[in-house]
This record gives sequence, C-alpha cells and structure tokens, in this order.
Amino acid sequence: MISEPIRDLDHLEPTTGRIPLAAPDVRPLLGWIVPPLIALLIAAVAIEVWVRLAEVSVWVMPRPTGVIENFFSDFGRYFNEGLKTLGVSLGGLAIGTVAATLLAAGVAHSQVLERAVLPIAIMVKVTPVVALIPLFIIWFGHGWNPKIAIAALITYFPVLINAIAGFRDVDPRMHDYFRSVDASTWEIFRHLRLPAAVPYLFASLKISVTLSLIGAVVAEFFLSGQGGLGAVIWIEQNNLRLEQVFAAVLMLTLIGVTLSTAVVVAERLFSWRLDQPVTAS
Amino acid sequence: MTSSTNPSATATPLVIKHPIEPDAEPAVRLRDVRLTYETKQGALLEAVDPTSLTIRAGEFTALVGPSGCGKTSLLRMIAGLTPPSGGAVTIFGQTPKKAQHHKRLGLVFQEPALLAWRSVEDNVRLGLQLNPRETHSPTNVEELIEIVGLSGFERYRPAELSGGMQQRAALARALAIDPPLLLLDEPFAALDEITRELMRYELQRLWSVSHDPRDPPRSAVFVTHSVAEAVAIADRVLVMSPRPGRIIADIPITTPRPRQPEHEHSDRFINDTAIVRAALRSPTTAAVPLDAA
Repeated sequence: MISEPIRDLDHLEPTTGRIPLAAPDVRPLLGWIVPPLIALLIAAVAIEVWVRLAEVSVWVMPRPTGVIENFFSDFGRYFNEGLKTLGVSLGGLAIGTVAATLLAAGVAHSQVLERAVLPIAIMVKVTPVVALIPLFIIWFGHGWNPKIAIAALITYFPVLINAIAGFRDVDPRMHDYFRSVDASTWEIFRHLRLPAAVPYLFASLKISVTLSLIGAVVAEFFLSGQGGLGAVIWIEQNNLRLEQVFAAVLMLTLIGVTLSTAVVVAERLFSWRLDQPVTAS
Repeated sequence: MTSSTNPSATATPLVIKHPIEPDAEPAVRLRDVRLTYETKQGALLEAVDPTSLTIRAGEFTALVGPSGCGKTSLLRMIAGLTPPSGGAVTIFGQTPKKAQHHKRLGLVFQEPALLAWRSVEDNVRLGLQLNPRETHSPTNVEELIEIVGLSGFERYRPAELSGGMQQRAALARALAIDPPLLLLDEPFAALDEITRELMRYELQRLWSVSHDPRDPPRSAVFVTHSVAEAVAIADRVLVMSPRPGRIIADIPITTPRPRQPEHEHSDRFINDTAIVRAALRSPTTAAVPLDAA
C-alpha cells in the first residue's frame, strides 16, 4: 500500500498538495532501525576489544559489557530515576510549549506585542539558561519547580518562533473569505490559523523535546539531592563509578529516543488522519 | 436557524429566475470610489480613478480589462476587503462591512482557496459555521454539493480533486450562505480551456440556485479578462482602461437566458464580442456611451 518512503512524510507541505497516504506500515521502518543497530553493535564490540586489549582502567573507560550488565542488574534504579527526569522534561516541555503557543498567538495578531516581546524572547534565548539555575533555586526552592522552570525556559523558544510562523502562514485569500462573512478573530484563529500551524508546531516539538531533556539533566546536576538521572550521573562520577554513569546515560538515550519517536509517530498519525481519503462514509 | 429581520427583503417573490429589478435597492452602488496607493518612494499611484456605478438587483455584471487595470481592486472595494481612498460603496444600501456581517456576499477567487484539512462537505459548510448568528436559511449542503456536481466526493479532501472540482466546491461554499451578491474574481482563470468553457454555463445555472425568494434576486460581479466569458454569461459588460483603472464602456448584452454554448456561434455573440474588444483596444474612447442604468 505504501507508495512513498516514510521519510518523505516529514517534508509534506501543510497547505499544498498532500499525498494521500495508506495506513502506516512498519516494514520500511525496519530498514531504518536495523542498520544503525548493527553499527552500534560494531562500535560496542570495538570498544570492548580496545578496553580489554589495552587494559584501559575502569576509572577511564568501562567495558560495554560491564555497562550493559550494570544497566540490567540495577534496572529498577535507572528506570525510577529516569521517570523523575522524564517528569521534569515533560513538565517543562508542556509548560514551555503551552506558554510559547499562547504568546505566539498573541504575537501573530499584534505587531506591537511582537516588537515588545520578540527582543526579550531572543535575549533570553541567547543567554545560557544554565546560568539562571542558581537564581531559580533561590526563587523556586529545592523541589521540582526550578528544574521544570529550566526545562520550560530552554524549550519555549523554538516553539515560539515556529508557532508565530505557523499562525501567520495562512492563505491570504482564505483570510479574505473569513473576513467576507465577518468571522471573528477567534473563528479565524480556531478554523484557519491553528490548523495551519499544526505542522509548524510538530516541527518545533521535535527540537524542543530533546532540549527539554537537556534542561532537565543539567538542572538535576545542580539539585542532585532530588534524584533523577542527572543526579545519578553527578553522584556516580564523583565516586568514579563510570559503569553507573554510562548506564544512566544509556537510560537517557532511551528516553530521548522514545520521546523523539513519540513526536514523530504523533505527527504521522495526525497527518495520516488529515490525508486519509475517506471515500466510504 | 432563526430568520432575523432582513433590511432589504422588500423585493417581491421571484416569478422568473432572474428579472433585473430596476426599482429595487441596487445591489451595488459606487459613488466616486477611487483607490490610491503610496509607493515606497512616497509617490501616489492611482490604481482606480473615481468611479461611479450602479449594479441593479438581479444583474450579472462582468468587469473586463487588461491585467493590472484595477478590476480586482474594484471588486475588493465592493467586498469591503480593501478600503477605498475616497468615495462610498453601498451593498443593498448597506456598508460593505454590514453586508459582510449579514453574509450578503459570496466570494469566489481565482484559486479555489479551500481548507486543505477539511473535506469538500466541511469546506462548503464553512460559511454556515462562521458568524453563526447570521446564518439564516437552512441551506441543504448535500443538495448544493449535488447541484455543483460533486456528489460522491463529499468526504474527499481538496487535494484529491481536480482544479475544476475544487472550484466547484468553492462555488458551492459561496452559494451555501445564499448571498444576494456573488463576487467572482477570475474564478476560472486557473482552469484549462475546456473546463473553463464548461464552467461558464455551470455558473449561469448555479447563479440562481438555492436562493431565498424573500431576498432580492441574486446579482453578480464577475471579474475576468476573457471577453468571450464575459459576453457569454453577463447581462452587462463593463470595460476598464489600463491603470489608472476607469470604466470606459458599459455594454449591455441582451441575449435572453438561459444561454447555451451554441449561442457562442451566433451573430449576436460575435457582434457583442467585437464591441467589447473594440472598447478594450481603444482605451480612451468609450465604444458605447457610459450610462449606468
């Protein structure tokens, strides 16, 4: 049923001709998953051989098999700490995305607001957010709040810029049509601007979802008493237990892959629904 | 679907499909309407010279002229989408803004301009959903889709349709709110020649469908640069000069309705076409004296 390679779906334009799609098929996905897995396996084997032959100290580079062994033997710990990191990451992503989308909706409607807000947004964006963590700890305490605030602050910018572009990327004739029946600003937003912005929002989510994870981990370095994989890495590297450090990084990688895949799948399901020819009613 | 007070519902119920009603409130009245643009260098550019014009209720008026003569600008001023630099526009005695509010305008553009994420049916329904307090007549969307020839394609999305079918959907969307005034901006310009020729007679047919007899007979302003298209469907052809746009000829087309494609081979059609072409060729002299009804 698939006539187009799945990777091409990412480049479909929101307003121009959509290619009618069949239901997602997993077979071509294997072609994308298997080669990198093999490459990863080869790299792991190479490191394993190097560490064993060169007798590299475990304080410098642990053996991949040791890392894997530790990852599975202590899986419960990494999983639970991973959940905390995931919570911070998703909390920050949700707050950052919602706030940025609301702000973008305002900016898309008002040039004054754009001129007032965008320079500040860019200033915050070019400032290394990490520098604000000590401040956030003072303001928000030692709980989840400062971590979520950092993750939110680090994610809002791509969403803001993309959402503004999306809300403005409407067919001017379509806008004229809405005006010709005296549609309200809300109706124009709800039925024209918001659907037009959906592909832009997904594009920004792909960027933001990994940024939120970075924000969460960095914040956890500072607040290592609160747990989370960032705290695990921080504590274990102080103890020179590199197998544990790598195992925590491995869990972070899995979370990152899961989050990114979730966004791609959500987008694909969404555009599949949009594109699906509903010939039978 | 409440029926609210309609300020211009004074016209008598329709007996014939499209009698022009000289005594009714005119569909469109322009008084010294002009449009001036300011260029980046600060110079003033006259896009439309002061224009006065009356389009009667039930009249199908075509606006022809060379590219860039201000036809579309004039149409946009009638639709209330571009504010004129001077003069006044009234639609059935109301301001264009009021006409928009009461959904008295049916707009069709050169490109279909449909919402890509909505099905044909939901696109046609769009005008009924927006500004819902002004949705008066319970339009039968299914029937309208059948009339425009899109039966069976209700659940299709615009990208799955041909250009002609998309434009039919756009026409159905414009008609769904049952507007007493249709404003068409080169609606068939993007279509192939064969579809174009078919669509002009389709438009003549669709012009009169699903119209509330309590409203004044439906009028239309049809912008085109095809002389044949204008003469084939209009009651009256207005010829515009190159920029600054000015109406330089007002040519009545008296061929009775309903018109058929064969009509395009008649002497009358050829003669009318020649008059319009002559007016277009000599932009300074009006082929027929200006006489706005």
